[in-house]
Amino acid sequence: MATERALDEFVTEANEILDQLAKDLFVLDQERGREPDPERLNAIFRGAHSLKGLSAMFGVDRISRLAHRAEDVLDALRLGKVPLDDRLIDTLIETLDMLQALLARVSQGTSAPDIEAGADHLQDRLGDLAKGRANAAEDLLDQVGLDPAMRSVFTEYEEHRLRENVKKGVGLWKVRAVYSLEDFDAQLAALNARLKPLGEVVSTLPSSQPGDEASIAFDLVFGSARPRADLEKALEGATLAPLTSRPAPEVTKVGRPLPPETSSPAPRPAPKWDETSASGFSPFPESPGSALRLAPDASLRSLTQTVRVDIARLDGLMNSIGELLLIRSNINRLAESARQVGTGVALPKLWGQELQREARALERKLDELQKGVLDVRMVPLGQVFDKLTRLMRRLVRESGKDVDFEVSGGDVELDKLIVEELSDPLMHLLRNSLDHGIEPPEVRRLHHKPTRGKIRLKAREQGNQVIIEVGDDGGGMDEARIRQVAVERGLVTEAQAQELSRRDLLNLVFLPGFSTRADVSEMSGRGVGLDVVKTNLQRLSGLIDIDSRRGDGTTFTLTLPLTLAIIRALMVSVSGRTYAVPLSSVMEIVSVRHADLKTIERREVFEVRGQTLPFVRLGRVFRLPEQPRERSYVVIIGLAQQRIGLAVDELLGQEDIVTKPLSGRLRAVPGVSGATELGDRRAVLVLDVGALMEELLRPQAAAS
Amino acid sequence: MSRFAELLDRFFYRPDEAVGAFLELAPETEALPEAAPEELPEEFLAFELAGETYAVPIATVREIQKVGDVTEVPRAAPNLIGLINVRGEMLPLYDVKRRLDLADAVPVVRSRKDVGRGARVVLVKDPEGDAGILVDRVQGVVKLNLSRLESAPQLGVERDAVAGLSRKDGHLYILLDLEQALS
Repeated sequence: MATERALDEFVTEANEILDQLAKDLFVLDQERGREPDPERLNAIFRGAHSLKGLSAMFGVDRISRLAHRAEDVLDALRLGKVPLDDRLIDTLIETLDMLQALLARVSQGTSAPDIEAGADHLQDRLGDLAKGRANAAEDLLDQVGLDPAMRSVFTEYEEHRLRENVKKGVGLWKVRAVYSLEDFDAQLAALNARLKPLGEVVSTLPSSQPGDEASIAFDLVFGSARPRADLEKALEGATLAPLTSRPAPEVTKVGRPLPPETSSPAPRPAPKWDETSASGFSPFPESPGSALRLAPDASLRSLTQTVRVDIARLDGLMNSIGELLLIRSNINRLAESARQVGTGVALPKLWGQELQREARALERKLDELQKGVLDVRMVPLGQVFDKLTRLMRRLVRESGKDVDFEVSGGDVELDKLIVEELSDPLMHLLRNSLDHGIEPPEVRRLHHKPTRGKIRLKAREQGNQVIIEVGDDGGGMDEARIRQVAVERGLVTEAQAQELSRRDLLNLVFLPGFSTRADVSEMSGRGVGLDVVKTNLQRLSGLIDIDSRRGDGTTFTLTLPLTLAIIRALMVSVSGRTYAVPLSSVMEIVSVRHADLKTIERREVFEVRGQTLPFVRLGRVFRLPEQPRERSYVVIIGLAQQRIGLAVDELLGQEDIVTKPLSGRLRAVPGVSGATELGDRRAVLVLDVGALMEELLRPQAAAS
Repeated sequence: MSRFAELLDRFFYRPDEAVGAFLELAPETEALPEAAPEELPEEFLAFELAGETYAVPIATVREIQKVGDVTEVPRAAPNLIGLINVRGEMLPLYDVKRRLDLADAVPVVRSRKDVGRGARVVLVKDPEGDAGILVDRVQGVVKLNLSRLESAPQLGVERDAVAGLSRKDGHLYILLDLEQALS
């Protein structure tokens, strides 16, 4: 097996190929029934071809074999030997899913016995498809008055394109162009560019009747529906001769291009794939023959940690560094002149001014550099939205519901890390909307709603944050049911439940243990793993909020910081220890006298503008030695609708910090999301506000 | 004509190009280096813990550092001394003495001032994440023969963090099982 590093490279590259394949197949899928763009088919073919070569090179046999079969089918398709029908598209999409699943296993270094069988099966089906039906149609090329010498050098693909052009009934021309040896490639490219809008250049060959010593002649076979006069204008010097000499057969009268099997008058042998479909395989992915079902917990996260970067952004970084080097040499010069002045002698005032100017320039450039590096980390949300769109199309088909899926804001950019981490929560929410939000068509009709449901995925930028909305126009949430379930599960008491505001009530669905998979369907509610979604978001310092109207649908709103890499934090100190609190979750800071504290059920609370909030001493949570104090600063932290006052000794100001994750062994430390270094290189812990709130609020609810 | 042939060759797109050339490359990338013969003595880093000499394979050692600022981590594992900043990387610093019954409690170390002059942080590589262990003194690199490894005698104490004993030039080296020692 290849080394780990080589494997990483393989996974990265294979992933890129698969992403591109997915895009092309998606277009093909959307344009079902129309004649496919030959360029697109070629691109897909090349993708499968490269994947085959790549995986063979790295000894990933499993992928190589499947890609090989797919390549065979695509080659046959490209050459018109097999028709592009729904069955073929579905099989190709399935193959793509399978390749992605196999690649995921490779990257995890695990074997894939469970999907192995599916892959074998798929491989056989592809094999059957590739054999397709023999193209027994009378060779249309014989109708073309083509020089046999010329025809003999045609590739199979060129022959196929020529055949397609004959079928379309367009005029076929032979273009002879003579160009000077010096710039024939440019000239030829220009000619191609001029001809392209008018029709299809089937083949370009060096002419069998060469030109003189200093020039070279080409014969282009060109198919076009335009009149001769139009073409001659575009030729600029090349000569034109009609190719079709024999009368066109009746198929050329068909105005619209048709796939070969419908226009072919000749009887064909029984197609192989009919036999397989008779033995129980239907052309849709939900059939039992489907090789790969989407596991409910399948992740959409990409397999690699790489970011593709626009070279312009890197150039920008390079520039900043260049200017920093300039500043460095200026500072060096100043330092040198200070040294020469000697000790005990006052430095000239000018020197100080100059140093100050350089310091300011340094600061500006560093800011620029920081921004530049952050920019590099930014990727469009579209990367995830595309995957989600494909997934939703399939889920919608499998669900049998009638749903429109609208996506907008794919161009909004976010930190790569966040975009990756978002894919799973978003998938969860979308599935939720589809499974539990959108009612069956009959119910919708009953409520005078259009039978076709709507699910929206929208993103927009708002200041330093990105707002993502997942909404549906389904049945909405049932508050009474939520209240009932929450009380039954002991998450809140009856009395508490009655007092909760509408919003707080809705947010109960985010509590772990609010619902279990088994009884979701009976309570017709939502909340499948919503606690997981919330936890995921908290890791990203994001907020989630629900708005739901009975009968009108539900909208989840996710608020996320633009980047995780550098965040603004409030530095606080407790019992002499310093901690960083991400400013994004700090609502406000107040100073509270301990004499003003009250208790509710022996828990300390304080009042701020008429609102009573829990007063939590961070020192006690962290079991630090405590000194008696008269007053504390209270940092009010909030997540979704919940608020807590975190009591600390001192406020040390704000800092831009880079949060570093803690190593594997420390990942489980509660209430800490990472560490950062301060100016004196000391490590400072960054509080995990989400986890802290979770921890501090949960026992309260359970205890009551 | 050969120059033209070449130019033309580059100009034309051939979709049917073979993959054969790549396939031939494949077996080479799979070749693995032969495992080293077993007899050679292996290198170990020897260090002192409460007067005893311990050793870990040099291959597991990332680097050795002086003790700097250590940040306390509340509610972490009891054998964790704190968090250290190794050129921007935040790594845990562990005490192994208590695990080996060499001390009754995990020391409170916040900075260089809390430890002896010879004390060092030995950073070890670990699949679960690199970690530092606090040692009293680093002795140096020794070559030990793994084939002449003794198992630890039964001394009535739990010694499962000891992988074995090795003797060389009259010194006793206790081989530390890092995975156990850090758990």
